[in-house]
Amino acid sequence: MQQPVVRCRNVKRIYQQESVPVHALGGVDLDVQPGEFVSLAGPSGSGKSTLLNIIGGLDAATSGSVMVDGVELSGKSPAALSALRLQKIGFVFQAYNLLPVLSALENVEFILQLQGINKTQRRQRAAQALANLGLGELGDRRPGELSGGQQQRVAIARAIVTEPVLLIADEPTANLDSATTEELLVLMSQLNAEHNMTIVTATHDPMVMSHARRQVHLMDGHIDRDG
Amino acid sequence: MPFKLIIQLSVRNLFRYPRRNGLLLLAIAFALAGATLTNSLMRGWQYDMLDRAVENLVGHVKVQAAEYRDDPNMQHSFKLPADFKPQIAGVEVAGWAPRIKVPAVVLSERESRGVQLVGVDPERENISFFADLTLAGDTLVDQNDGRIVLGAELARQLQTSVGRKVVVLTQGADGKNRERGFRIAGLFDADGTSMEKTFAFTGLTSARTFLGDGRSGDGDGLVTEVSVVLADEPQRQQAVQDLAITFPDKDVADWRTLQPQVAEMFAMADVAIYIIFVLMMGGLAFGLVNTLIAAVMERVRELGMLRAIGMPRRVVLMQVVVESMFIMSVGIVLGLAAGCLSVWALADGIDLSAFAEGIDAFGMRALLIPVLSVDDLLLFSGLSLLLGLVASIFPALRAVRITPLMAMNR
Repeated sequence: MQQPVVRCRNVKRIYQQESVPVHALGGVDLDVQPGEFVSLAGPSGSGKSTLLNIIGGLDAATSGSVMVDGVELSGKSPAALSALRLQKIGFVFQAYNLLPVLSALENVEFILQLQGINKTQRRQRAAQALANLGLGELGDRRPGELSGGQQQRVAIARAIVTEPVLLIADEPTANLDSATTEELLVLMSQLNAEHNMTIVTATHDPMVMSHARRQVHLMDGHIDRDG
Repeated sequence: MPFKLIIQLSVRNLFRYPRRNGLLLLAIAFALAGATLTNSLMRGWQYDMLDRAVENLVGHVKVQAAEYRDDPNMQHSFKLPADFKPQIAGVEVAGWAPRIKVPAVVLSERESRGVQLVGVDPERENISFFADLTLAGDTLVDQNDGRIVLGAELARQLQTSVGRKVVVLTQGADGKNRERGFRIAGLFDADGTSMEKTFAFTGLTSARTFLGDGRSGDGDGLVTEVSVVLADEPQRQQAVQDLAITFPDKDVADWRTLQPQVAEMFAMADVAIYIIFVLMMGGLAFGLVNTLIAAVMERVRELGMLRAIGMPRRVVLMQVVVESMFIMSVGIVLGLAAGCLSVWALADGIDLSAFAEGIDAFGMRALLIPVLSVDDLLLFSGLSLLLGLVASIFPALRAVRITPLMAMNR
């Protein structure tokens, strides 16, 4: 059996809200195998975004163990987590979060620059990533000159260009209309099916849930349903 | 460290807020141009003060009898060898002049005034203001010229004029009073400053004859001082050391020792230049900090995203620092260019003759000519960059404290 890309054991997250402890996660166990497309669903406050942030190394669990690609995240320094995110995880955010001062191509390319990849290679890989997502002609446009759907595709290109072991998408379709959402989900499904990309997404959107091959439903900080 | 990326992001971010950054750039340029112009005027005053001190019969280095400074009279004169020529190893001598300088009283038919009677060799006085005097009447022909040249203001006070005679009363080398009539050859104009009231010139040989101890007709080559001007002022200490060897029992001193008030003012001008610069640029630093913080706070989501995808903190920090340094660098170039242009526009000098008496107290001439100092410009540039660096620290620290979660929760 392959090593899971994500392995959570008894993950708890307690926030202090005006000295009142809030149990966002109450002991979650979750394994995500390579090539899975998992959707974390649940109502607001169920803990899906918290779990996604902990898996992505953006937040730390209060207790429990979280491993990504065999690397234990708890106890890691911010710098080590930052390096891990850069090397192993791709992120797609709800608000695209592209750099407005860079062109689409540069937005995809700069993450490779952070990885220290040489100019020729990164230019080639970034152009290829954009072309694969149907944006080959729009590489020199700035984000402000692109539609919401195009911007989110650029964000996906940026997330996958580093060939991460895990793609994390937090409400990736929240700002898109239904037609663009459908296009984007088809694209993510293709990445998952054709490139065996492991995807974990948190969403409210039934369309996203329907494209995911596994749905994990959270309620009050616990996994309510898995399958 | 991906320097190219940092520079690319920093530079492009500056163009993101063109109006705000443009105004900041203008403020930096304006402050630096002001600092450059102020500095050049201060340097102009400072160098003018130095020139005046040197040309005011002091020179860079002066040799006098040991007791002369405490009791300046002819009894404290000394004999200068006929073949004397200042030889200073490795130091270029621009010129030198032997003189007799003693306090005296000048009497006309109506008034009397205290002056410094100076016996000069006109051919050697190209190192002092004597060579550039604007005269009504004649100057001294040579060191044998027995006439006298007075300041215009002194002549006005004595109610005398060119061609008339005055009597000079002073003490000779033998300690006895001497008195002699001198015909006025000319009156010099020194822009109404104190020099017009202070000095009366006659030929050196004439002064020797007048003040010598009478053992020989030319006063045995007596002088009260030898003034030396160097091609390069900072070498004065070397010159002092060498001349002290040539004149072991004499008082050899540089202009700073001989004119301590001027030296103090000179040093004070140095300090004032930096205080003005720090005040001008210090105020600006707050503007720079404010602008950078605003730029950081407007980009919290973006910076959070960069941190989320794995941009190290040091890269985020460098981005803000480079932004600050870049805007400061452009401001420096524009500011210095504008400052140099304004100095060039004032290259002919600022006429202060309306305040001649007042500015005389500050050792200034009536025409203030700005002086650009490359060293100062380099120092200003360096200090401005340092200021840009310091001003960026607080905003940069705020930027690195932004966490992805903080950004997403906004």
